[in-house]
Amino acid sequence: MAAGSAQGTGMPDPIHQFEIHRIIPLKLFGYDVSFTNSALFMLVAVVLSAGMLIYAMRDGSLVPRRLQSTAEIGYEFIANMVRDAAGEQAMKYFPLIFTIFAFVFTCNMLGIIPGAFTVTSHIIVTAALAALVFVTVLIVGFAKNGVHFLKLFVPSGVPIYILPLVTAIEIISFLSRPISHSVRLFANMLAGHITLKVFGGFVIMLLGTGSFAALAPLPLIGAVALTALEVLVAFLQAYVFTMLTCMYLNDALHPGH
Amino acid sequence: MVPRGRYPLGSVPLSVKERASMSDPEQDRKPGRAELSPDERAAFERRVDQLGDKLKRAEAQHDTGRQGGDALQGRGMAYGFRMSSELVGAIVVGGLIGYALDLWLGTKPWLFLVFFVLGFAAGILNILRAYRQMQGEITARTGGNLGKSVPDDDD
Repeated sequence: MAAGSAQGTGMPDPIHQFEIHRIIPLKLFGYDVSFTNSALFMLVAVVLSAGMLIYAMRDGSLVPRRLQSTAEIGYEFIANMVRDAAGEQAMKYFPLIFTIFAFVFTCNMLGIIPGAFTVTSHIIVTAALAALVFVTVLIVGFAKNGVHFLKLFVPSGVPIYILPLVTAIEIISFLSRPISHSVRLFANMLAGHITLKVFGGFVIMLLGTGSFAALAPLPLIGAVALTALEVLVAFLQAYVFTMLTCMYLNDALHPGH
Repeated sequence: MVPRGRYPLGSVPLSVKERASMSDPEQDRKPGRAELSPDERAAFERRVDQLGDKLKRAEAQHDTGRQGGDALQGRGMAYGFRMSSELVGAIVVGGLIGYALDLWLGTKPWLFLVFFVLGFAAGILNILRAYRQMQGEITARTGGNLGKSVPDDDD
């Protein structure tokens, strides 16, 4: 894990933490498919989230203990969200939604650990997740409703002479979903981690200024407070990402409204 | 004149003003500023009353808002980010579609301009939808109480 860590150099460069390093260089059919620090932390997130849930449910006792209780709370939380936002029918897609939540949440949380790599601070990762949701919505929508799915773009009760305009706007609105979906998560994680790193950099820079080193604890306190806020943001963004997934799925299942 | 205890919130600035108006006749240095007439005094007291009420309400509202604390602030940030990304996303998509159509049909720059504006419209539509959904979410969580009512004995 040490090879993948980009931090600890003492250099206040806020972007350095987002650099990708190859751990095991690998080429496949002319493509660079090296095992990177990003891949490592994705793997850690998957193993950690899946492992924790499996370990928590190893007994499956009727009266849950602490860990099992936590796992059950997580399940109930997402299950209620799916039912509220997309209806009972959408429970068929619960595994996908829960996986997305667990993955994003674990990645966000792992990123807060100093020295760890934040997978979700790369737009390519969040864009891939958003594209997965987008394609799923398209497939489910057309499979469930056939051509009726296109009704999503043609709202009822609109006068015929502005219908083309409204349809164009609806289509753009629909196509903008994966962009806002992915940019939101990425921008939140990126901005939060840069801010944290900048505050950390202030501490180091102040320590090297002689008498002004007495001020060094101030940005440190700021960094501690920001870390607390980051924990909140990490959870909220995972929640928002999952919530929007449910809402988009709702459109695919019930395109009428 | 006005007992301090009646205006627990607005007492400090008001009483200063009162003292100033009361001390004028005692010191009797400025003959132009005489004692207020009973009508004026009544009007002034009414204004003080209203101000006290207003302050009380504002303070109560502030307290209710603060109960949410950090969690509310974080949520607010999430909502803000959501709104901005909805708008920007739609504009980017509209612009890209217009640009691609321009390249394809050779109509630079007209379709880009048209679709840019359409993208803006779609962004506003996105925001309105997101707003409606958030409103529902907030109402569901707070039971319609958005921080305007005063906490009662049950709280």
